[in-house]
Amino acid sequence: MDDKGDPRERIEEKKDQIYEDLLKIITEELGVSPMDINPTLEVREDLCFDSLQLYEFVVDVEDAYDIRIPDEEIDKVRTIQDLVDMVYALTEKDDDALYTDN
Amino acid sequence: MNEVEQKMAKSLVSIFENVLVAEEKSLRQGYFNNLSLAEMHTLDAIGPYESRTMTETAQILGITVGTLTVSVDRLVKKGFIERKRDEIDKRIVRISLTRDGKLAARLHGKFHKVLATRVLEPYSEEEKALLLSLVEDVEKYMKTQVARYEDKDKLRQTAREVAEDSRRRQTDG
Repeated sequence: MDDKGDPRERIEEKKDQIYEDLLKIITEELGVSPMDINPTLEVREDLCFDSLQLYEFVVDVEDAYDIRIPDEEIDKVRTIQDLVDMVYALTEKDDDALYTDN
Repeated sequence: MNEVEQKMAKSLVSIFENVLVAEEKSLRQGYFNNLSLAEMHTLDAIGPYESRTMTETAQILGITVGTLTVSVDRLVKKGFIERKRDEIDKRIVRISLTRDGKLAARLHGKFHKVLATRVLEPYSEEEKALLLSLVEDVEKYMKTQVARYEDKDKLRQTAREVAEDSRRRQTDG
């Protein structure tokens, strides 16, 4: 039944991949080095995203993962780790919908 | 008109005018100050995730396809909308938002949400629900008024056509 290995490992791997992807987009958008970024940094305070930059980032992430990120979810995000968790949850939701459809 | 009705009339007109002014000002001072309010509402009608036909979009906005075409042409030139042929039926042209279009629509949507949040902020959950239901009643009433005027326009058009037919028959006869 379970041909995907340990579910916890699978979740961590997927989150690591999401973190790497987000890192690429953030460093590109803000022109900073990946070495200056870590998961505990606060998006608004530490990265100093203004509202345009935040939405540029959101639109790019939506495009990359083919997901929809509602404003209410964006308002809840504080740290980069929150962003990773949110993207993970939204991609999983879409996967669940696919399974339900089939 | 009694005092309550007078105050209500004044407030309704004032709310309408001030929402428009606030929207215009937020656009002028925002990142997308090359967009008019009407153009922003066209982007809103298409939506950040959809690809719509011209007819669909015109219906949402309550305007003719001809009027929409002028606006869409301008928005394509400004880089906020792109036109694409439908993948299945090549005769159909679909319009969708570019990355800049999506950004403008999302930021403007955020402005609407902040407006609602600030208006509702001072009230309890119960009061919020009551206020919302009262505002929805006003909205419903305004929609019936618009529909009435549209019906009257249709009626006038029919009357004009009947009059023209009748004149033509008299001239021919």
